[in-house]
Amino acid sequence: MAKVQVLNVAVLDNPSPFRNPFQFEITFECMEDLPEDLEWKIIYVGSAESEEYDQILDSVLVGPVPAGRHMFVFQADAPNTGLIPESDAVGVTVVLITCTYRSQEFIRIGYYVNNEYTDPELRENPPIKPDYTQLQRNILASNPRVTRFHINWEGSAERMEDSENVDPSSNSMLPPSCLPGKAPPIGILPDNSMDCL
Amino acid sequence: MKLLKPSWVSHHGKPIFSVDIHPDGTKFATGGQGEDSGKVMIWNMAPVLREEDEKNEDVHKMLCQMDNHLACVNCVRWSNNGLYLASGGDDKLVMVWKRAAFIGPSTVFGSSSKLANVEQWRCVTILRNHTGDVMDVAWSPHDVWLASCSVDNTIVIWNARKFPEMVTCLRGHTGLVKGLTWDPVGKYVASQADDHSLKVWRTVDWQMEANITKPFNECGGTTHVLRLSWSPDGQYLVSAHAMNNSGPTAQIVERDGWKTNMDFVGHRKAVTVVKFNPKIFKKKQKNGSSNKPSCPYCCCAVGSKDRSLSVWLTSLKRPLVVIHDLFDKSIMDISWTLTGLGMLVCSMDGTVAYLDFSLDELGDPLSEEEKNSIHQNIYGKSMAITNTEAQLSTTIIENPEMLKYQQQRQTSTQTNSAPGTVGPESSAPKLNSVMNGESLEDIRKNLLKKQVETRTADGRRRITPLCIAQLDTGDFSPALFNSVPILPSGSSMSNQLTPHLSSDSSPGQPSSLGFRPSHDPMLTSPPANSLKALEDNNEGVKSTLLLTSASKIEPIKALDSRFTERSKATPGLTAAITSTAGLTALDSRAKESSSTPAQKECKLKEDTSSDSEDKMASINKNLMYSKRKPELMIDGGEVVEKRKKGRPRKEKMTTSMVQSFTQIIPPSEQETRVSVPPSAVAALRLPTPSTQKAFSLQVSMEPSVFLEVENEVTVVAGSKLSQLRCSKDGRDWNTLLPSSVVTAAGSSDLIAVASEDRMLSVFSSCGRRLLPAIQLATPVSALHCTAHFVMVVTAGATLSVWDVQKQKALVRNESLQSILSGTDTSVSQSLLTQQGVPVVGLSNGKSFCFSSSLETWSLIADKADSLVQCADFRGCLSSHDAPVSSGPLAVMQGRYLNAGRLASRLSSTPHHMQQSMTLAFLENQLASALTLQSGQEYRYWLLIYSRFLVNEGSEHRLRELCKELLGPVHTSATTSWEPTTVGFRKRELLREVLPVIGENLRFQRLFTEYQDQLELLRNK
Repeated sequence: MAKVQVLNVAVLDNPSPFRNPFQFEITFECMEDLPEDLEWKIIYVGSAESEEYDQILDSVLVGPVPAGRHMFVFQADAPNTGLIPESDAVGVTVVLITCTYRSQEFIRIGYYVNNEYTDPELRENPPIKPDYTQLQRNILASNPRVTRFHINWEGSAERMEDSENVDPSSNSMLPPSCLPGKAPPIGILPDNSMDCL
Repeated sequence: MKLLKPSWVSHHGKPIFSVDIHPDGTKFATGGQGEDSGKVMIWNMAPVLREEDEKNEDVHKMLCQMDNHLACVNCVRWSNNGLYLASGGDDKLVMVWKRAAFIGPSTVFGSSSKLANVEQWRCVTILRNHTGDVMDVAWSPHDVWLASCSVDNTIVIWNARKFPEMVTCLRGHTGLVKGLTWDPVGKYVASQADDHSLKVWRTVDWQMEANITKPFNECGGTTHVLRLSWSPDGQYLVSAHAMNNSGPTAQIVERDGWKTNMDFVGHRKAVTVVKFNPKIFKKKQKNGSSNKPSCPYCCCAVGSKDRSLSVWLTSLKRPLVVIHDLFDKSIMDISWTLTGLGMLVCSMDGTVAYLDFSLDELGDPLSEEEKNSIHQNIYGKSMAITNTEAQLSTTIIENPEMLKYQQQRQTSTQTNSAPGTVGPESSAPKLNSVMNGESLEDIRKNLLKKQVETRTADGRRRITPLCIAQLDTGDFSPALFNSVPILPSGSSMSNQLTPHLSSDSSPGQPSSLGFRPSHDPMLTSPPANSLKALEDNNEGVKSTLLLTSASKIEPIKALDSRFTERSKATPGLTAAITSTAGLTALDSRAKESSSTPAQKECKLKEDTSSDSEDKMASINKNLMYSKRKPELMIDGGEVVEKRKKGRPRKEKMTTSMVQSFTQIIPPSEQETRVSVPPSAVAALRLPTPSTQKAFSLQVSMEPSVFLEVENEVTVVAGSKLSQLRCSKDGRDWNTLLPSSVVTAAGSSDLIAVASEDRMLSVFSSCGRRLLPAIQLATPVSALHCTAHFVMVVTAGATLSVWDVQKQKALVRNESLQSILSGTDTSVSQSLLTQQGVPVVGLSNGKSFCFSSSLETWSLIADKADSLVQCADFRGCLSSHDAPVSSGPLAVMQGRYLNAGRLASRLSSTPHHMQQSMTLAFLENQLASALTLQSGQEYRYWLLIYSRFLVNEGSEHRLRELCKELLGPVHTSATTSWEPTTVGFRKRELLREVLPVIGENLRFQRLFTEYQDQLELLRNK
């Protein structure tokens, strides 16, 4: 099982002006002392169309991590506006927080981000060249999307063996359809008879 | 029989491999496949049992889900006491879960809020040893052991009392082990494997008792599980998949000789699971029928790969009922309720069915007492009573004396647990979440500023995370799980801190677990109706926002994939991609923006609550402070006493002994001690008191005896004489001595004075000289009298003790070299016990007594001893016997003992470690008290020691202790047994120890054995 469980991410300073740094207060629990640091990254998705506009805002090492519950604040500067396509500056995009251990990503937390002008006039008639000073960033903190990945927490020797566990053989054994609603009525057989005899 | 398939019990269509009903019948667990992991779910039983509860939306159906297993969960099993849940899965792990108290409902981070966990179950231990999928787990009767079996062909027995300790690994199967069952009396554990064998293992030596292969020879193909079961009377073991005449059967194995003559026939495909009803039944007495005693029988359910279920009574030749087509796929597991009338069945098709039987169908279940008496008849009493508490509630108390002590114990525990008495232990763990008087909220506010950030060698940022809780301290703040900054944790944290909060949230009332109204009005969570108003508000905002962002839905879909996409650097494991709806995201976005005013409001609330926490912290500090005060007073008191040498004492002192040691080092000698080189290697020198013109002291209280010494008073022909005046109960006597008196001491029987010319004179309490003056080799450093003993420590570091009554030396010029050597320690304290045992306390915190029988110095107290620091025997202190504060042991160990008790609270030593430390410490105390011949203290520690042994269940030590106290029952000339020890008759002591033993039903054999022998001896 995963040695590190993310218990909560609180989005601080939200909503805030576009140029403010991102602040996430991350609480996680570790089952046992980790010999290596965790690496956390904040990735800002510049455009939904292409990954090439992704910006890694910052990456930090977090450690040492003994067994127990820990928290820290991950602060990263706002994205470089020069790298954001002008058409995608205003509107909904995504910010991702990822954590890796021994270079393996085991959790990815995504938030929708809505960038909007606060001024109603600008909202009605947005300038062609985005005015980042007037933009407000609002992270939809209440709806994080969390994806967890299985990784090998031990040394690298076991890596192959571990991937066997993920083999979804048990999944394939049954069709996705399950029985909704009540079971069909089943007549109670008369006592002491077993017709399969 | 009624049948129900609760459709809401599902793992989202994924297979359910295991089901188990909690012993209290209020919930059940399922285990199986999750989205991308194994899944354990805990469900409420009430909606299964009652339709109104199923329809009632306030009754939670799902109580908790745990996704921690990396791969499919094959088995879930509740411990017999219901405290733990064990789960085993394809990830080779066994996890043991425990309900976390104090934590209210919460969500798994990132899951939608509907799936709130009503109860919190935390993984307390992960058991790792298997190298393949764990297929089945089973708790032994009374939860002594946990067995797990695996496709690695082994069975591992874990010590359920000391997880993750492994007792043994049973090897012998040559195929995948797929089922386990314990003998109900705990003598055997049986396993069934793909190697066409069923093996029975003894729990005494963990060797194989029987290997049954014949019924399985024909078996072909594989089943996912082979869950076998042992009948509740222990007489039969029923296997899963066996073959008889090429038909699939469930083989009945008789305990007697492991014979395989009978089987359950009829299923068309392999039997996957057999489960005995926990109850033994007898035929229902019908009106008018003859009252002939009917033979008790058992009930057994059999599930098969052919998707059908059959229920059998051992009194009938045909099954009671067979149900076909209940499931679409193979039956995987069966669990009966403890009442024996309900049964849950789960299947690979991901559904669960509940069967409800009536007493008319099954018969009258025997009571636990009747069941126990059947066990006793078959297996004898010793087997039926295995050494555990769980079953002891059903144990028959065989001895009237025992009953008395059991009742006493119950009443005392009841009074102890009365409300309002919040012990220091119970409040301590709750304060864990407050560090250095700072609440978690304060920490969170300043986290960014406070957290340590460094740069690594290659210039990267490295943050040291703030540890907010140790893993083992148990329960943390629940509300942290929510995503809103700070707001909810404020109220729940303070909830946690309120000292009145109890952990006894009863099962079956999940709603009571939520936000409990706390006692402080300031801390109450916002009223529900204000939240409602907020929601109404949302509706409006939501719709407008939907309009504005409708055009953005397309890119959102594109964005969605980013949530689950893995970064490129990672090895290519398939990631489950969850589908998302952009619309819902926007909904919640609307909620978010509109709830900001509410957040502010709550933040205000939060401030006040953290204020009140600060107050609490400061109150705590005050408490600490006032606690310290008495200690300081004591210290001061001692100093004052030392200075009061000059005049007779007015205040009564508690004992002569205390008095005698406070007198050892008069203030004037302090300087001398410093000036004397502490270890001149060859000649050890101890400080000596200087001569004073006059001094007086009280040597005894009952009767009160005062001594007055006046040096160089009468001059007769140029020589000076010293006068010793003594008043006892108003009667005075005086005598003259040729040399100045340096120091004096006395008891109610004796007065001893040492003079400048190194002469020691001893007088009776009436002034009669009892001994001619004794010439000492070096001046006197310390002088003590107790009863008819005189003790002298000379400046030359030798010790002598005389018994004046017998005119005999007990200790003769014994050198202190051996205890003073090496380090520059000095004598800080010395005293003489009532029994004439000399005790010397050193400046390094060690205290020695000289045992005249062993002729050695024995260490009786060491303030630096880590055993003292960590021993925790508070649980064994009885309210009846007050601690002996005046004994020599207590005087020498004094307050350090208390410090030790406190220290044990602070340290987080593992239990077994602390247990051994406490045991060692208590044994030290006993031995020291014995050497000091301090009877009262011996008795006191003996009782604590035996109580500790009884609590911790160390039967061997207890037995040895009793044996020693009882002595030989028949005396002969060669018997060397002393009937008394330190002034107590040993058998009287045993009489006191026995009630302590009687408090634990587990030792009733021991109790009865010695009680009977004592009675026998008394009657002789």
